[in-house]
Amino acid sequence: MKLLQTIPLRPCTASWLVLLGLTTITFELGSNAPSQVLMAAVLALTLVKGQLVVSYFMGLRRVRPVWRLVMAAYLAAVGGLIAIAYLTA
Amino acid sequence: MHTEASVDSAQPLPGDFAIWIFIFAELVVFGVLFGAYAFARSTHVELFNASQLTLNRAYGFANTLILVTSSYFVARATQSIKAGRGTACGNWLAAALGLGGMFLVLKLVEFHQDFAQGISLSTNLFYMFYLALTFFHFMHVVMGMAILAVVTYKAYAGRYSAANHTGVETGGSYWHMVDLVWIILFALVYVIH
Repeated sequence: MKLLQTIPLRPCTASWLVLLGLTTITFELGSNAPSQVLMAAVLALTLVKGQLVVSYFMGLRRVRPVWRLVMAAYLAAVGGLIAIAYLTA
Repeated sequence: MHTEASVDSAQPLPGDFAIWIFIFAELVVFGVLFGAYAFARSTHVELFNASQLTLNRAYGFANTLILVTSSYFVARATQSIKAGRGTACGNWLAAALGLGGMFLVLKLVEFHQDFAQGISLSTNLFYMFYLALTFFHFMHVVMGMAILAVVTYKAYAGRYSAANHTGVETGGSYWHMVDLVWIILFALVYVIH
């Protein structure tokens, strides 16, 4: 995420462009046959996208660490729950 | 002595704290629903994979691009009002509202096509989750747009300023939550199989 601050764009503009790119990759990955690798890749991309929204759109990168931790924990919990359900299917 | 970074990292949550209680509650509800979908799928994998293939993923993809861009516009609106540019703030918010409207229209077209194919809540477990989750989210988009509409009106009316922009941050935070939830929903319901 620090990389976004070195790009000569507003961090939220850089995040938006990255979000559009990751969404396109996610959509393309959906054309592949079902697999655990596909599930893990899409889930990882989704969590990165979620963290970008939280940090650069909601602006939580500037708030008290406890709130950043709460949101990161939420994304990790939801992602973990989905991963466990898919891996145990 | 505080550095700029340490002062920044000591800021409270943006907007009214009450909206954050609401946002965290909404996130928990959506999180439970996402978990319920994933675990329901784990006992009906073939049904979920076959039914998911009948969805038009292009709608989900387009709506993700639309909502992410709308969320970006709201972030720019917040930056504008912090710089004291009320009209620019209103313009960004109006553009975000327009994209919110596009999301709703596209989702209604998708729902119409689903219903025309005879899909309903009782068709099977996958469609029950798909329709319930996407309609529940749809209602949040409607609510978010109602909030944004009020904030947009107040921005154009000059009711916000660089010193007083809590309302923009409050409405914006809710809209970003609606975007965040859709990002997970898109991956879960339309893509992962």
